Amino acid sequence: MTGAGTDPRTRADVFAVDGEIGPDLARVDWSTHPLGQPDAWPQSLRTTVRILLSSRFPMWMAWGPELTFFCNAAYRRDTLGRKYPWALGRPANEVWAEIWADIGPRIDTVLRTGEATWDEGLLLFLERAGYREETYHTFSYSPLRDDDGTLVGMLCVVSEETERVIGERRMATLRDLGSDPSVIRTEQETLAFAGRQLGRNAHDLPFTLTYLFGDEGDARLAEATGFAAGHPAAPATLSLDDPDAVWPARAVTEGDLVRVPLDSAVRHDLPTGAWPDPPTEALLVPLRQQGGTPYGFLVAGLNRYRALDDGYRGFVELTAGHVATGIASARSYQAQQRRAEELAELDRAKTAFFSNISHEFRTPLTLIMGPVDELRGRLRDADGPVREELEVIRRNGLRLGKLVNSLLDFSRIEAGRMQARYQPVDLAAVTADLASVFRSAVERAGLTFEVDCPPLPEPVHIDPGMWEKVVLNLLSNALKFTFDGSVRVELRAEHGQAVLRVVDTGIGVAEEEMPRLFERFHRIENARSRSDEGSGIGLALVKELVTLHGGSITASSTVGRGTAFTVRLPFGYAHLPADAIAPAGSGRVAVSAEPFVQEALRWLPGDPTAEVVREDATPVEGPAPARPGQVPARVLVADDNADMREYLTRLLRSAGHRVRAVADGQEALEAARTHTPDLVVSDVMMPRLDGLQLVAALRADSRTAGTPVLLLSARAGEEAAIEGLEAGADDYLVKPFPAAELLARVRANVELARLRNHHARWRTALIDSLQEAFFVCDEAGAVVEINAAFTDILGYGPEDLPYLPVQPWWPDPEAEPEAHRQVSAAFSVLIGQTKGTYTVPVTHRDGHRLWIATAFNQVDDPDTGRRVIVGTFRDVTTEHYAVQRETALAGLSLRLSQAEDLADALHGVLDEMRKLWRATGVVTAVFGDTAGPDVTATDPLLQWDTLPDERRQELLALRDTPLLTPVATPAHGAGIALEHPDGTMALWIDLGEKRPFTEQDQTLLALLAGHVAQGLHRVHQIDQQRETALALQRAILGPAQLPAGFAVRYAPASLPLKVGGDWYDTVELPDGRIAIVVGDCVGHGLRAATVMGQLRSACRALLLQDASPAQTLMALDRFAALLPGAQCATVLCGVLDPASGRLRYSSAGHPPAIVVHPDGTSELLDQGRSRPLAVRTGRERPEAEVTVPARATLMLYTDGLVERRRQPLTAGIDRAVTAIQEGRGVPVEALATAVMDQLTPEAGYDDDVALLLYRHPGPLELDFPAESSRLAEVRTALRGWLDRCGLAPANSYNVLVAAGEACANAIEHGHRDSPGGRIRLRAAATADALRLSVTDSGHWRDRDRPSDPHRGRGLVLMRALMDSITVTPGATGTTVDMQARIIR
Amino acid sequence: MSTALTLTTGSDPDGGRVLTAVGEIDMSNAAAFAAALDDAVRPDGGPLVVDLTAVEYLDSAGLAVLFPHAERIALVASPLLEPLLTISGLADLTTVRSG
Repeated sequence: MTGAGTDPRTRADVFAVDGEIGPDLARVDWSTHPLGQPDAWPQSLRTTVRILLSSRFPMWMAWGPELTFFCNAAYRRDTLGRKYPWALGRPANEVWAEIWADIGPRIDTVLRTGEATWDEGLLLFLERAGYREETYHTFSYSPLRDDDGTLVGMLCVVSEETERVIGERRMATLRDLGSDPSVIRTEQETLAFAGRQLGRNAHDLPFTLTYLFGDEGDARLAEATGFAAGHPAAPATLSLDDPDAVWPARAVTEGDLVRVPLDSAVRHDLPTGAWPDPPTEALLVPLRQQGGTPYGFLVAGLNRYRALDDGYRGFVELTAGHVATGIASARSYQAQQRRAEELAELDRAKTAFFSNISHEFRTPLTLIMGPVDELRGRLRDADGPVREELEVIRRNGLRLGKLVNSLLDFSRIEAGRMQARYQPVDLAAVTADLASVFRSAVERAGLTFEVDCPPLPEPVHIDPGMWEKVVLNLLSNALKFTFDGSVRVELRAEHGQAVLRVVDTGIGVAEEEMPRLFERFHRIENARSRSDEGSGIGLALVKELVTLHGGSITASSTVGRGTAFTVRLPFGYAHLPADAIAPAGSGRVAVSAEPFVQEALRWLPGDPTAEVVREDATPVEGPAPARPGQVPARVLVADDNADMREYLTRLLRSAGHRVRAVADGQEALEAARTHTPDLVVSDVMMPRLDGLQLVAALRADSRTAGTPVLLLSARAGEEAAIEGLEAGADDYLVKPFPAAELLARVRANVELARLRNHHARWRTALIDSLQEAFFVCDEAGAVVEINAAFTDILGYGPEDLPYLPVQPWWPDPEAEPEAHRQVSAAFSVLIGQTKGTYTVPVTHRDGHRLWIATAFNQVDDPDTGRRVIVGTFRDVTTEHYAVQRETALAGLSLRLSQAEDLADALHGVLDEMRKLWRATGVVTAVFGDTAGPDVTATDPLLQWDTLPDERRQELLALRDTPLLTPVATPAHGAGIALEHPDGTMALWIDLGEKRPFTEQDQTLLALLAGHVAQGLHRVHQIDQQRETALALQRAILGPAQLPAGFAVRYAPASLPLKVGGDWYDTVELPDGRIAIVVGDCVGHGLRAATVMGQLRSACRALLLQDASPAQTLMALDRFAALLPGAQCATVLCGVLDPASGRLRYSSAGHPPAIVVHPDGTSELLDQGRSRPLAVRTGRERPEAEVTVPARATLMLYTDGLVERRRQPLTAGIDRAVTAIQEGRGVPVEALATAVMDQLTPEAGYDDDVALLLYRHPGPLELDFPAESSRLAEVRTALRGWLDRCGLAPANSYNVLVAAGEACANAIEHGHRDSPGGRIRLRAAATADALRLSVTDSGHWRDRDRPSDPHRGRGLVLMRALMDSITVTPGATGTTVDMQARIIR
Repeated sequence: MSTALTLTTGSDPDGGRVLTAVGEIDMSNAAAFAAALDDAVRPDGGPLVVDLTAVEYLDSAGLAVLFPHAERIALVASPLLEPLLTISGLADLTTVRSG
């Protein structure tokens, strides 16, 4: 850029509209350019350049004298290629020198004439990519004018169409290659066709060579395009192994594409195709074969004017693909053709063979049937078995003859040698006659047979023998596939034709089978039929025969509804060959009908001639053919042919076996599952379940998996045998077979299986011999094996195995949710744990309830490695109900025995019953003398008036039923009437849910009700007794008010009585002393109590008379002597001075009293002892004296407290001493409780116990008016008591002051506002402490408590003097508790 | 009836005044005791000796009488009362002699 005065802004104006080309245009040295600086350009040029640059459509322009080249970005991208930016600003003829010959003249024309040009798809060889390139463009040149209108240039708008043009060309080739694929060609034709198509595209494929691989490492030239014959680059054969070969064929065999540069000498002078120069490269593409090495390869000469891009390579590959496909279909067609021809040849050979062999059969057949018929005649009177066997021979001879005749007919028809003689006959009569032959067979099968053949208007020309076969085959077919309903034959004249219809109500034919119905040897697989016999030629033959008559046959069928065959024959004889027409003859049925009927009869179960004993429980009788050492085997025979079945049965029985024969595989499977045989002999072809399926089913079932199976089949050949053995059969025998061989095989298989299954049989025998039910479950809980006991207990046998959960013996979830839940829970245990036991309710097959106790274990099956569950169970129904009864009875008995009274007993009973039956409630009503029924229920709120009306009615109805007879209402509950001491009691159990009340439940209810009735009466009696006894006890036992300082306990041995033979007593004597007595009469219970009461009263009276213990006892001796039962009673009698603690006492054979001192030492009062009461009456009794020290504890007792079996009395006394020693620090009342507790034996006291405790001195209790003037005397009394407690003076003074302060407080504060109130002071001693309490009856004022300095001082003193002070204010007064330890 | 208490005012061999109490002192007769004490104590005179040797019972009511005069009295008491006088704090305010 050197131009001075150049205005960049102006330049920018021209070029700035495009950021890509603009800058490059600006870089052109316009200063020396003929067009000059852009800012000096005419407006028209600037405008045009701006339009050009801003357009997105590819454009270039030429302007000015040199036709200066401008272009835009789109043109640069599509067309200019490598010439950018060199081309900018250059003369156009320089830029497009290579095509100037083409475009120069066009531009000239435009500039000269001012008219625009238009060219479409013009081929131009551009050199924009480094080589001469085949390109196609569509463009228009339009004139450009100067500002003054002069033509100065041209604008070219262009679009490149190279891709489109070449794409269409290649597509055309591919389309042609694939055209008309329906035309079947040979390989040569295919290749030639492909060659023609390839040759038509000499642009993309200047030349091609198609080589096909040979068998010997070579490749043969199959087709070539572009080459003249004999060209050295197209040799007729190539060696794959020749490294110098023209084409490297070896590489292509791997399936790869190979690119070959064409430079060597042999490749000179190659065809050029559509181009001026030959290709410089070739591409070798394999002709790929599906699943194999390539067929060969295609050599494609490449267009040198196009690069080998993806599109080009793909085109060549597709081309090769088309060629390969063509080769493949040609070869496949050829192979098919060959196969078809071979088959046709085979068919011809087969027909010839059948024809010959059938003839060959007829001769021996005749020689069998003739003599057989003769023998039948001669042996008419022979014994049963002989005649039976002759019948078998004859029947099967007939059957064979029929088969041979049918085959022969076919051969004749095929060979066109069928000799028919068509006679005019009364078709209705002939057909009805034929049909009647079948009547007995059809009717014996339980089917209705309708024959509807009204006379036809004119005779029909038929060959009678052939027509017979038509009708009989159709009837035979109908009978074979019809199990109930009817078979109908009708003949009509319709539309000038005789129409025969055979209609059955059989199993029908599936739609997809219909087209092949009349095909020879085609048999419908797995169709249910009366017999699986048959060759599949019957219907085919019928069709052929009808066709021979110029007629037609059609069939229509619906599966499950039946099949109808329609035969149409034209009237007249114009349609028949003239030389085959014969005059009318005999229309009688020929003898050939017999085989059909005989065969059909054999299919029927009730056939009298087929008397097969299916169940053969006893071994064969008569001369025993059993060989030494041979055990008879149980053999199950399955064959659908009755004769074969009979024959096998006879044969096997003759060898000593026990035989059961069944007619098909399904029956055999069921029989084998119920009673496993030692061997199964089965035919292969059978209806329902064939032999192979039977084997598979037997093997799949663990019970029969080990049973050997011998298959019999008419299908010879190794493959059939292998198929059978693969299915799991143990042996395979081809029919016909010698009898000896069958027996040998049977024996061998049975023995082998016995050896093999010895262990299994032993196991089975063992399991079956178990008394307990045995079962095996798989992991999912399905029962897969059971033993005989299982079936005995539950009613479910092995025939329905496996039993999948939920098993049928589970209780019904609706009717018995609880039982179902129990089983369900047990099942989770069974599945989830390695071993365990449970007892559950189950339902027997016949519906009754069982309880079974099951034990199970998880084990690994050694055969399969799978985990299985092995379990046993036994029927514990009886035990279960017995236990239930016992438990219920025991529960009830306990409740009854613990009952305090009748009401308590009844409550207990109802509670037990509710629990037992898990009832929602139990209600009773006693209809006694009272106004309304007395209701007791588990719901304590229920009253007769609040009961639902319905329930009242039920109870009323129950009252009137016989006693102890249960009444169960389904889905409701159950009730019973029983005797209550107060009248009849109706008892109702509300079950709440839909739960059956079983027979066992009813039995149990009756039993319990009886028990309850008795129990209630017993409780009632005891109630009465006890009431009496309690009254007595209250009358005679102990004083109501004990003197201070005493504590007593009394425990009678026999409940429910609360009295016994022991007693204690305290008597306050007139002189202030206290007499204390403890005694023990012989025995206990009510009798002893009455004796005791009298002794006690006597003793009390005597003591009041003369306060000497010894004198008292001596007087008591005399009294007791007169009182029955009083002899030998023991008594301890003492007189205590509570002030001094002095005790005088005398013992009549009684255990010694005990004194425990405050320091813990003890003393037995064992003086003054003598004999028990009323023994040697009149003799003196000794008396002793002791002083009970201060704060000591005195204990009197009866021997029940201390006596223990097998222990000396002293041990018990020691225990009692210890108890008191330990408790000497607690108040005497608490001590009594502690002693009783500590000495209670584990099972409770078994003898009456009386206990009397006294602590000296007894507590001081003072009650005085709240007046200060009384304080001095209170102090005096307290001072005296403290002396008796043995306190030191200083100690005593402290207590005195503290008590005085408490009393002063009570007077001053408690009673300031309520004069006349009283104060209570209580003081008690234990071995080492004093407790005092002062209680007033007044109310302290708040301000009285802490603030008053004076009273405050009082409290301080109390606290200082005592060990603890507690002030408890209350609504009715304040209590001050004080405690002081005693300092020794 | 009040609790038995005899109060005697006299002189000791040294000429000092002595109030002798015999019996028991409780709330019922504390007022009499107080009157006797008030009477015996002279504001200008020497300390009054209160002889409690023969008092068998004294509680806070009696102490309450003694406290206001603590600075002008000297106590004579038996060992039985000593702990009480000590605990109440009176022994700290006045002199206590064993009688």
